[in-house]
Amino acid sequence: MELIQQLINGITLGSTYALIALGYTMVYGIVLLINFAHGEIFMFGAFAGLFIVTVLGISNLYLAILGAMVFSMGLGVLIEFIAYRPLRGSTRLSALISAIGVSIFLGSLMVLIRGANVTSFPRKELFTMKNIEFYGLSISNLQIAIILISAILMISLQLFVNYTKIGRAMRATSMDGDASILMGVNQNSIISITFAIGSGLAAAGGVLWGLNFSSIHPYMGLMAGLKAFAAAVLGGIGSIPGAMFGGVFLGVAETLGIAADLSKYKDAFAFAILIIVLLIRPTGLFGRKISKKV
Amino acid sequence: MGLLELKDTTIKFGGLVAVDSVNLRVNKGAIHALIGPNGAGKSTLFNLITGIYKPTSGNIHFEKKQIDGTPTFKLTSLGIARTFQNIRLFDDLTVADNVKIGTHVRTKQGLLGALTRFPTQNKEEKWITEKVKEELNFMKLYDKKDEFAKNLSYGDQRRLEIARALVSDPKIILLDEPAAGMNPQEKVTLMSLINLIRERGITVFLVEHDMKVVMGISDIVSVLDYGKKIAEGTPTEVKSNEDVIAAYLGAEYLKAHMN
Amino acid sequence: MKNLIPENYAVRFIFFLLSFVALYYFLKGLAFAINDNYILTILTYMAINTILALGLNLITGITGQLNLGHAAFMSIGAYTGALLTMKMNMPFGISILAAGIMAALIGVLIGYPILRLTGDYFAITTLGFAEIVRVLFNGMEFTNGAIGISGIPRHTNFSIAWSIAVLVIILMVWLNNSRNGRSYMAIRDNEIAAESMGINTSLFKIQSFAVGSFMGGVGGALLAHQISFIKPDMFGFMKSIELLMMVVMGGLGSIPGTILGASLLTMAPEALRVFADYKYLIYGSLLVVMMIFRPNGILGGVNLRQLLDFSVKKKNIERKNLSN
Repeated sequence: MELIQQLINGITLGSTYALIALGYTMVYGIVLLINFAHGEIFMFGAFAGLFIVTVLGISNLYLAILGAMVFSMGLGVLIEFIAYRPLRGSTRLSALISAIGVSIFLGSLMVLIRGANVTSFPRKELFTMKNIEFYGLSISNLQIAIILISAILMISLQLFVNYTKIGRAMRATSMDGDASILMGVNQNSIISITFAIGSGLAAAGGVLWGLNFSSIHPYMGLMAGLKAFAAAVLGGIGSIPGAMFGGVFLGVAETLGIAADLSKYKDAFAFAILIIVLLIRPTGLFGRKISKKV
Repeated sequence: MGLLELKDTTIKFGGLVAVDSVNLRVNKGAIHALIGPNGAGKSTLFNLITGIYKPTSGNIHFEKKQIDGTPTFKLTSLGIARTFQNIRLFDDLTVADNVKIGTHVRTKQGLLGALTRFPTQNKEEKWITEKVKEELNFMKLYDKKDEFAKNLSYGDQRRLEIARALVSDPKIILLDEPAAGMNPQEKVTLMSLINLIRERGITVFLVEHDMKVVMGISDIVSVLDYGKKIAEGTPTEVKSNEDVIAAYLGAEYLKAHMN
Repeated sequence: MKNLIPENYAVRFIFFLLSFVALYYFLKGLAFAINDNYILTILTYMAINTILALGLNLITGITGQLNLGHAAFMSIGAYTGALLTMKMNMPFGISILAAGIMAALIGVLIGYPILRLTGDYFAITTLGFAEIVRVLFNGMEFTNGAIGISGIPRHTNFSIAWSIAVLVIILMVWLNNSRNGRSYMAIRDNEIAAESMGINTSLFKIQSFAVGSFMGGVGGALLAHQISFIKPDMFGFMKSIELLMMVVMGGLGSIPGTILGASLLTMAPEALRVFADYKYLIYGSLLVVMMIFRPNGILGGVNLRQLLDFSVKKKNIERKNLSN
């Protein structure tokens, strides 16, 4: 029973990781860049949710998520436009360093705005918690909501990517950018759309994270982002189902680790998994094999 | 005498057979050309010889020694040097440093030498400088030795790649489309340079699209189409070979014009 | 200038050693003359940061492998040095050396598997490794967990730090102009071409990683013996970024640039109040702006030797013109 309980906790945590991981995977698939600032977009999403509830006074969960998503979409597109687009022709090292710069800039910007301390997230105003008890298991309706909302977002993404014209263009760009340009795909707008979608999902993850832990802070983006990246790699970078699986797997592994009284080392799990996956199977569980071109 | 021998060499990428049981022998001291339409597998064959790919089946011998599966970096010290179709220079280094790196397999100094500057280290550096000077003079690049490789003209970059390969004292040099992007004047210079390389006792194996260059300098020409070797012989023999004409012009064209 | 350095190696070695001893006493005299603890401390940090940044420059700037975990090697050195000095009463010199060797050994151990990874993956793995190291130091008994170690003897001072820094600078310049240095740069510029020139790329990558980590360890140990107090959180991701910033600012791959970057970024928070308050905000935006407008740093693409040569030549020409 204890195990199942932890499994449910893990899936709840993991579904937020999965939402963040999707952004990494989609962006990497299209521009071959680890969007280092993605964790900060997630963090900004959480704070946008906080702003909507406390400052604008809108205490509706769905509006808060939607608002945070719209805000982060704009932020993601802006970041791409300012910090990545000018570097598209240069080395990957430059682009990566620029991405790290954005990440640090955004993190410290939020510290300037809100201070470095932990802020409590207005869970009560958004959600009435109820615990459902059966057979010794205690599941909150919040956990169910988090899992359901994440699942709906991810399924919509799958449908979007597989069954719309833009989704097809995204897949084409990810397979062969140059060829897709020749086929009339506007690469710039596809890249912007990808950043927007990825950032939106991360923001939704941010609000759900706030609900789950009922507190947020400016540095949460770095750790959560890196763990989500590990999830994306585990699932196979570029693969959307992979990111979902990786996120959930990582969430469960971390929760089980804490339950096994290893919480001191909890932040190391994700990285240990990341390093092991990269060494044994760099393409991840669902990734495409990339052959070296000479 | 065969210096380099390919026996039934095959490589598959997924379902695609890029090189299909090719048997090929490059004789010592020859200028041997490999031609074929785009996508015939010429560069893949070079990559097989230089250890970047491993053949799916068959094997490759160099001086009677089996070399397939040997890592690329070890082949260079055996005496195989190459240039690349899409030029691969060390862009942010000077012309001289690019060529100095070519002496890697003929030099020995390690970390200790570098950090202590023992007399042996200094002696070796002097030897390298001399050797690089010789090679740059040979390739007529000495006056550009302090320029960054990325700032050279296209033709100069191609010649720098050859200089960098030659300085490693190879027994065979593999040139991947050396004339690509050169103007007619540069091509003439290149042809005489390739002849000079052979006179130094180095075997030349080249992939080239420019037929004037191929027919002008080669002793033997092998023709590849869809990964298979379809013909081989002297330039004149190959020129009149029907399979070769068909491969280049398309069988349909040939049929239409036969009558 | 060249005529001043004797030909015979033994004589040259002694010459070198003597000038080094002279340098040390000169620095000691200088410290005495400055006679201001605050300034001397900042100058000491400058030397330590120079050593650390040159190590990172070797890995990232010269060999082209983006290392986001240099602070981890620094912490390995800091803990090794501090524990050796405090628990085993080792002489300072041996502690420093052992710190470097420890960092290098761990660098080889971790580098061997991960250097096979390309570009971005390598970068993120070094970051992951650094986090693991930090978490381990936080959790382990003998490192005293999150509280850290205090009361480390203050052995580092201005003259020692700068003597080591100067030695490191000289060795880096030598290394850069050697067969090994050229191999590192070849790997950075074009790994496939480097391989086809006969360079065992994995071996040379590990070598550069080990040497760079060694310097990270030495720098860390010097730091531990300077501030006399260390804890794992001092060596987090932000520390690695700060070191990266020094290298990027002066110019990836440029030794004078790295020294300049390390010096500037050590002084800036002290000299400018604004800089101290908005340090990471400035770092973040600088990283982006530098990559877009000046990817080779302030001094990138400037070859000091060529500049010197040029000025010498110019002088000679002027002299000739005068004599005519």
